Amino acid sequence: MKLRRGTLRAALALVLLPLLTPAGAVEPISVGLAIAGAAASALTGFISYPRLYCYFRECCLHRHDPRAAGALQGNLDNRLFGQHLVSKVVVKAVRGFLNNTNAKKPLALSLHGWTGTGKNFVSKIVAESIYKKGLQSKYVHQFVATLHFPHAHSINLYKDQLQSWIRGNVSVCPRSLFIFDEMDKMHAGLIDSIKPFLDYYELLDGVSYRQAIFIFLSNAGAEKITEVALDFWRNGRTREDIQLTDIQNALSVSVFNNKNSGFWHSTLIDRNLIDYFIPFLPLEYKHVKMCVRVEIESRGYAVDEDIVSRIADEMTYFPREERIYSDKGCKTVDAKLDYYYDF
Amino acid sequence: MARSVPLLWVPLLWVLLPGLAALEPLSVGLAIGVASALTGYLSHPRFYCNYVECCPRAGQRLNASALKAQLDNRLFGQHLAKDVVLKAVLGFSNNPSPKKPLMLSLHGWAGTGKNFLSQILAEQVHPAGLRSKFVHLFLATLHFPHHDQVKLYKEQLQNWIRGNVSACPSSVFIFDEMDKMHPGVIDAIKPFLDYYEEVDGVSYRKAIFIFLSNAGGDLINKAALDFWASGKRREDIQLKDLEPLLSVGVFNNKNSGLWHSSIIDRNLIDYFVPFLPLEQRHVKMCVRAEMAARGYAVDEKIVQEVADEMTYFPKEERIFSDKGCKTVQAKLDIHEDVVMGDTKARG
Repeated sequence: MKLRRGTLRAALALVLLPLLTPAGAVEPISVGLAIAGAAASALTGFISYPRLYCYFRECCLHRHDPRAAGALQGNLDNRLFGQHLVSKVVVKAVRGFLNNTNAKKPLALSLHGWTGTGKNFVSKIVAESIYKKGLQSKYVHQFVATLHFPHAHSINLYKDQLQSWIRGNVSVCPRSLFIFDEMDKMHAGLIDSIKPFLDYYELLDGVSYRQAIFIFLSNAGAEKITEVALDFWRNGRTREDIQLTDIQNALSVSVFNNKNSGFWHSTLIDRNLIDYFIPFLPLEYKHVKMCVRVEIESRGYAVDEDIVSRIADEMTYFPREERIYSDKGCKTVDAKLDYYYDF
Repeated sequence: MARSVPLLWVPLLWVLLPGLAALEPLSVGLAIGVASALTGYLSHPRFYCNYVECCPRAGQRLNASALKAQLDNRLFGQHLAKDVVLKAVLGFSNNPSPKKPLMLSLHGWAGTGKNFLSQILAEQVHPAGLRSKFVHLFLATLHFPHHDQVKLYKEQLQNWIRGNVSACPSSVFIFDEMDKMHPGVIDAIKPFLDYYEEVDGVSYRKAIFIFLSNAGGDLINKAALDFWASGKRREDIQLKDLEPLLSVGVFNNKNSGLWHSSIIDRNLIDYFVPFLPLEQRHVKMCVRAEMAARGYAVDEKIVQEVADEMTYFPKEERIFSDKGCKTVQAKLDIHEDVVMGDTKARG
């Protein structure tokens, strides 16, 4: 019975349908709804327009901001102390890579040096100059060997996961940044697993890695760098005289043969997939003082030279006799500051 | 239930009836005719293949002069490789019924141009090059990483090759990093490479297999050094000087991926193509090509500077570049300031 009524109603509606003339369709409520719908879709279209959308949310950059390189140079000059080699090479490398629309391989930088000399700091500055949100950006990925790849027996699992992670993220945003910290603690085979991504391939399984940037941070080679720096000092030459070529060749071989370097006999060096080996020189007394001054200013206090000297004197230096280079670079400076400025 | 259905149909027909009156035989017939003609035209290969990639038909020949021009202009310092590849590929392509698929084994030091050559080759056979869906690139470290899963890799590889060759007989398969591949994996494709007319109904005779590896690179370098030491010109090196020592060296080299492989055993590899290490003049050619590609004017001073920055071996004589032409781009970025300054001054 119910079914019959339902079908009767439907039949009635269908019968009445041809009686609707065009004039009868101009009905206030439906017209109002139609206009509202049209306005809504126009608004959605406007909002999803990239230039507007990317103002509020973070987007993947397809063409980089030309001011990025200038910002990078400025930041490195003002905030990084005592690394004349680094600022020269990093700015040119990153700028050249970003400007090159037809890069043949992803950019691979290897930052080596003593602890506390600014390696993480530089990678942070690079990330900030390319991505608006810096290290917090969802296109910047940081891996710490001791944290993300702790167990030597799970290395196969780590290899698979790392490859999937890199592949997935680069296919979403070709201009991704990957930072690998503590390379000297990373298992030798693990880095071999990302070698294919760093090589000169146009496409790998449909994904192009040519716009990505890989930064490797490590303490390996620090002794070699210090040796070179000490030689220069002992011969009476200034720190700024040290050229990249003096260090680069010595570094590459020593890192390759160093069992602890994470690159040990790795195909990365074998295949020359690292574009730049960037050495970080150990910091001297005057650089430690610069760090202290910057820290004091950032806390908003007036700079008192007496306190700056005292803090710098408290740091330990090597070699034992000459006492030129700081053992920990600029680390623990802010902790010492708390001791002197007790508020 | 059965009765309500005809009840629904009647008013529906009554609504559509006025529309049915517009069905006029002539115009409908014309519309159907035009639609079918258009469909037929669109699905015709010659039109269709302009927009979507198609497998090259059996009769299509390679353009010999185009291939030769590409090799001459883009590949530097490899007279042997150019010769061999040109003859091999043209001979294979012009042969209407080859007896077995073409198999090239490219050996040489890093940065000498093996991947580059295979890319040029792939572009000649399939215009889209490495992006073509008929060109397949396999990396040992990426696609076959774990040695305990060799059986799985074997099966997957066989299925993949079988499937793709049945879809397009002139597929190109490039295997990179052969020296890192587990020896057993390559034995899995041996049946496809042999002199069979058909295997399970699929003919592999028009396919091309390219193997890239660093194995034997040290042997080639030694031979090149010997030539240089005896005062002979690089261009005098012949294939017959290198081929036998290469094949044995690779066969006996545990790390070669072709180690004691039945592929060499059965002489299934058609050509061993050696890549000689590059000298400084070739590195300079690479730098010039890179500068031209970026649109800068070629400055010989910078070319010399970049070439000098590269490392060379042996230590004393410093003849051959350690890395071939790799990292040239990176070094150019360092000198870019000078270059940019120059181009700005010239306006």
